Amino acid sequence: MPYRILFLLVSLSLASLSACGPDPEDDAQPVCPECPGEPTDPLITGPSVATDYELEIAEYMPRPILDEDNPLTREGIELGRRLFYDKIMGRDSAFACADCHRQERAFTDGRTLAVGVDGREGRRNAMSLVNLVFNGSGFNWDGSSVKLWEQAVHPVENMFEMDEDWANVLERIRGSDDYPQRFRATYGIDRRSEITQELVVKAIAQFESTIISADSHFDRVFFKNTEFFTEEEQLGADSLFFVENVPVGALHPGCGHCHNAPSFGDNRFKNNGLDDVASLDDFRDKGFGAVSGSKFDNGKFRTPTLRNIALTAPYMHDGRFTTLAEVVEHYADGGHGVENEDPNITGFPLTERKKRALVAFLNSLTDEGLLTDPRFSDPFE
Amino acid sequence: MKYLSAAFLLLALLFVSCEDDEDPFTDGEVELQMNFTGDFDGRDLMVQSEAYAYPGGGQLKFQLFQYYVSDLQLVPADGGDPVILSEIELIRYASATEDNVESRTFTVPSGDYSAVRFGLGVKPALNNTDPNNFSANDPLNENEFWNANARYVFAKIEANADLEGDDIFDAPVTIHMGSDALYRTVTLSQDVSFRPGTDAELTVVADIFQAFGGNSDTYDLTVPANRRVHGGNQNVAAGVFNRLAEQFKLTR
Repeated sequence: MPYRILFLLVSLSLASLSACGPDPEDDAQPVCPECPGEPTDPLITGPSVATDYELEIAEYMPRPILDEDNPLTREGIELGRRLFYDKIMGRDSAFACADCHRQERAFTDGRTLAVGVDGREGRRNAMSLVNLVFNGSGFNWDGSSVKLWEQAVHPVENMFEMDEDWANVLERIRGSDDYPQRFRATYGIDRRSEITQELVVKAIAQFESTIISADSHFDRVFFKNTEFFTEEEQLGADSLFFVENVPVGALHPGCGHCHNAPSFGDNRFKNNGLDDVASLDDFRDKGFGAVSGSKFDNGKFRTPTLRNIALTAPYMHDGRFTTLAEVVEHYADGGHGVENEDPNITGFPLTERKKRALVAFLNSLTDEGLLTDPRFSDPFE
Repeated sequence: MKYLSAAFLLLALLFVSCEDDEDPFTDGEVELQMNFTGDFDGRDLMVQSEAYAYPGGGQLKFQLFQYYVSDLQLVPADGGDPVILSEIELIRYASATEDNVESRTFTVPSGDYSAVRFGLGVKPALNNTDPNNFSANDPLNENEFWNANARYVFAKIEANADLEGDDIFDAPVTIHMGSDALYRTVTLSQDVSFRPGTDAELTVVADIFQAFGGNSDTYDLTVPANRRVHGGNQNVAAGVFNRLAEQFKLTR
């Protein structure tokens, strides 16, 4: 007898609980004038299963580092592309990621320091977004984001960048006529309220993961054998960049030690001899040290790719050099002997001829097709 | 009473369902932690943060010490086939925020073993592969690769030296070593017994000071050519690599 009573109570409880769940009919048109108007969190309709996407990567490039927490899908990449170019992400819907990462400049902005909402100048140069899918060392100049999708959180709320509250961004996206269906198609969600900050930045990261640059003059010479170096480019490659047989006593180990092909940047954190400081505590921008918490990492910044370097001036984390010639001269000077400088910064004799040759080689790393590739372009134009 | 029985039955079912049926170890296996410790003259190697006196004057602050281990294996005491633990590992000390111990964990058969054996460097079969087969977080990534001719860098020692005794570490040292000809097999003999269900631990110690020849046959860092070894000038540091291969110690 007690079992029957218990069974009855449980059945009643379950029935009452299920009655509290959403009813698709609730989202239909109001059935009477007294009924409330549009539900605040209506169901999203449309496809809800995303299509797996496999990156197209030239065989001579490294294998990608894919994020199991954010698998690539066709729908996610397209959603991310739209969000990347949409000013809805910035304060008052007036600033997009693409404002600092312009395709025609290999996703940089051409400025010394990044400029955000109201022309506010940030403290670092906008980094290129190409080939992020090969980076296993953390993102931003200082490695402050371990995962690519985490990187996209901060710029939205940074007062020197997009200066917006995520709550406002989410409100605009949830209220959009288009985005909710795209989020459903990507993530299978049912309600607008299920669109979260994490889903937004993951979609942006999916798009960014597809921006792969691997078809420069260098690639066509070195890997595809369809073009030839000029004499000057060849001299730059052989004499200073890829020094295959460093003679005994040679001063320079070759740029390729930190910028090896085919990625042309190891993404590791180094003090490349920019600042002459009296102690490791004296770096104006501590870079990686502020992230790791160790003063021995002060003044270290990520070693970026040199692909498309001719398009991404000014150079260094603070944009201090306006030309590649200045950059080459800096490395030839050999740093300042600060104790945490990378020991590969050695200084070397540099003739005008070799300087021109090295710059010519660096110019060969431009991937012209990237700059107009429709897969990476503004979908709203 | 019958309610009490039912309650006991439910409790018993609960306990049965909570039993760990995901135990990765079958009978006769142990979990072996292999530690690789970096030292300088018997002291813990603290990258960047510590200065180490160098014979003949001067001192060093290390930025990087790394080496490849190929075909890491346990040699059974009965002379049976070795137990391969790993085909390739990159042992790397590069951070001031990490200690001088790199650890790997392997599941191995219990039993008696007489040695740990590995190749110092990238074994020829892997040294013949190109880095585009791997991602940046794989040991055989492109950043450890010289070029199609010179192949992988088997070991790197990077430091900034104070050669004048003024506490200014302004003399860079970059010694990069590697070639198929330099590849060495290292055998560290020690009898160990691993019993089923127990945790086991072994430590391989590498001392850079010994690779530099210690106090008796010290590698001369005052010679500029000795401070910069890359690619084609391997003969300069062949002695450093050979001594590195000879100095490993195994402890429990």
